[in-house]
Amino acid sequence: MKDFDYEVVVVGSGAGGAMAAYTLTKAGHKVLMLEAGRDYDPKTETPMFKTKGQAPLMGSGNVDKDFGFYDATVDGGWTVPDEPYTTGDDSDFMWWRARMLGGRTNHWGRYSLRFSVHDFKGKTRDGLGADWPFEYKDIAPWYDKTEELVGVCGTNTGLDDMPDSAEGILQPPPKARVPELLVSAAAKKLGIPTAPMHRAVLTRPKDDRQACFYATPCGHGCSIGAAFQTTTSLIPMAKATGNLKVITDAMVKSIGVDKSGKVTGVTYVDKKSSSDIKLSAKVIILAASACESARVLLNSKSEHHPDGLANSSGQVGRNIMDSTGTGLGAHIPALENRPIYNEDGHTANHLFIPWWGHKQHEKGELDFPRGYHFEISSGFREPGSGVSGDLQGYGKDLKAQAKSYYGAGVYLSLRGEMLPNEHCYMEIDEQVTDKWGIPVAKFHWKWADHELKQVEHGLKTAKEILETMGAVFTKPLPSAEKAILKGGQIIHEVGSTRMGESSKDSVTNQYGQTWDCPNVFVMDAGVFASNPHKNCTLTIMTLAMRNASWLAEQLNSSTELKLAPLSAKGAL
Amino acid sequence: MKNIKVANPPPYQSTLTRRESLKWLGILSASALIPGVSGCDGTSKVDVLTPSIKGHWTQLSLSPISAKGYGKDPNLIIPLKSPWKKTLTVEQLTLVAIIADILVPREGDTPSASEVKVPDVIDEWVSAPYERQQRDRLTILSLLKWLDDEAKIRGDSLFIQLKEEQQLEIIDDIAYRKEELAEEFKNAAHAFSKLRKLVLAAFFCSPEGTKDLGYIGNVAIAGDYPGPSEEALVHLNDALDKLGLTL
Repeated sequence: MKDFDYEVVVVGSGAGGAMAAYTLTKAGHKVLMLEAGRDYDPKTETPMFKTKGQAPLMGSGNVDKDFGFYDATVDGGWTVPDEPYTTGDDSDFMWWRARMLGGRTNHWGRYSLRFSVHDFKGKTRDGLGADWPFEYKDIAPWYDKTEELVGVCGTNTGLDDMPDSAEGILQPPPKARVPELLVSAAAKKLGIPTAPMHRAVLTRPKDDRQACFYATPCGHGCSIGAAFQTTTSLIPMAKATGNLKVITDAMVKSIGVDKSGKVTGVTYVDKKSSSDIKLSAKVIILAASACESARVLLNSKSEHHPDGLANSSGQVGRNIMDSTGTGLGAHIPALENRPIYNEDGHTANHLFIPWWGHKQHEKGELDFPRGYHFEISSGFREPGSGVSGDLQGYGKDLKAQAKSYYGAGVYLSLRGEMLPNEHCYMEIDEQVTDKWGIPVAKFHWKWADHELKQVEHGLKTAKEILETMGAVFTKPLPSAEKAILKGGQIIHEVGSTRMGESSKDSVTNQYGQTWDCPNVFVMDAGVFASNPHKNCTLTIMTLAMRNASWLAEQLNSSTELKLAPLSAKGAL
Repeated sequence: MKNIKVANPPPYQSTLTRRESLKWLGILSASALIPGVSGCDGTSKVDVLTPSIKGHWTQLSLSPISAKGYGKDPNLIIPLKSPWKKTLTVEQLTLVAIIADILVPREGDTPSASEVKVPDVIDEWVSAPYERQQRDRLTILSLLKWLDDEAKIRGDSLFIQLKEEQQLEIIDDIAYRKEELAEEFKNAAHAFSKLRKLVLAAFFCSPEGTKDLGYIGNVAIAGDYPGPSEEALVHLNDALDKLGLTL
């Protein structure tokens, strides 16, 4: 990079890395971005309008393409070839990775719910987990800026779990579908609200990006830029400033220090030549994904940093939280043989069920500490490899049965907040290295009673809602232990380099600046102090924008980065 | 035992064009009407076959598929036509075609399963090197063997050589949920259920099947998403009334 005088190296091109690079380059700083996967162009590579029938195995998933043939994920999923991870005894953990420009933003669900007042100060309220080093009001303006830049559809509901955006920020949400309206009516009878989902999907055009045309699942990627991914937005916009250079197939191994322990650069593997390349760097931003960034830090041991870089607290790799996940579905007789119309919409939830229990929590009426929401799966979906219903016989009768069941199923997916616990963490497995010679991550996992009680409550509630819609259950609900999905399976893993008020029990300050190394930042979900049930990506981007803005100011005002003073709390 | 063998239907060929495939089907249904060559009194009376009296389900011992999958970065715009070698024999494929058309026969202008090449999809499925498909391969190939074994017991013939009515007698024994399904049919019924769903899915995935199912999405809409049709809302309101719910 002799010809490019960069100030900051950003590791990763997903939600955090791309937002950090965008913010810095817009502010006039030169950024070099390293991406472990290949280059990727949604404009030419997205399978728009392709039907499942045109794909092998009717588009269904397998070990090569876990979420189906057309899922945008490249060279990743639950397994990455030649890049294993391990798990401890009695630990189930699944780690989703992508190896492509834009990372997991190319396929994410685009659900974009703000964390609320409750979410940043959970420990103050119930003594559990950790508080964030700022309050909702400090980050609210940054949510506005991020939502405006990203493009989020939804409405201000006034519900306590869904903070309002500033006037004019949200784009109009699409109309609700019939099964969602039926869920809404049933939930209402039980005193449970429904609301338009907030999604990073444009319903109005923005810059070079078009509005959604309500076809083609967002998980395939979006060639028109309506469904947000960094490869159609932040990365090209940052490149347009002339201040961004991207190197793909560049897998960062470790961060290097000088004799005094000061960070001086990174080493990455050029995957095409399998050679190690050292780069000097004034400032490094890790945004490789929560566990990948923690892995880089833990693999960067030196005399001054014997337990890994930025790990004097011993918290790197600790406090990992995923969302809890389970669900319950049913056949709804009232939806049989209903008139068909185009229910694709923006291909995900138009309505969902936000958490409604904050008041109950205040009164101590619930036996679990943190909330959850339900996502609603339903509709006349594009035919695929599965046909629902307990079908009998053959011939005309068989087809008539299948048709009457079409669009009559409703599934409620629970996504809940998990608390950190001492059994959920990652470390480096010293026995195993990947293809590039980098020691791999080893995960440990155990759900606590908090999560199991929450799942139990969720299953009962889901059953009540479905029964109110006329569903009949012949089998008892499964136990929470059986019903809860595996750690990592919801792909909301966060907390491995958490931020806090003190260098004793956290890895970074509120700006994602590591306590131990003022020129090393973390701007992915690793910095989350808690993991509210509201899906992490919007908050990853919001924090990255806020923290990269703070960094840009520091770069303008001094040559040597210093730790943010502790008094510098709150809004910039 | 009566010999009720009929002429072999021509083999199912995956390379058939639509037109040829229609012809194939024509021959097939005609062949089913040919009376048995002997032991038949010449009337249209269907021979009564003796069902199997004890279980003969054989879980086949298959060597694993060794082909490679399509990998983690396949071309999504132009998927490979044949990502792996198909493995069904002509006889197996023909039997699958017969079963597929029993499950999804032609109805008016709507083609049958074999007319939209469902057997090819099944062949691709059971030949795939992935775990789920390898499990299904064992189930489905074991079912195909069972059908021929059952046809042998009942009619001293291959399944495809039976008259249509005789084929359906066997299918009737494994196609329905019954409180007390005879032991000898349990495995076959389970396997049949699996194949039934696969055939239906493959049919609905074809353009003609998708149209038949009624799915009308996957088209670009200009402007805002229109939401439910008038008629869909009328149906919803009726459902809400019956359930005693309000929006």
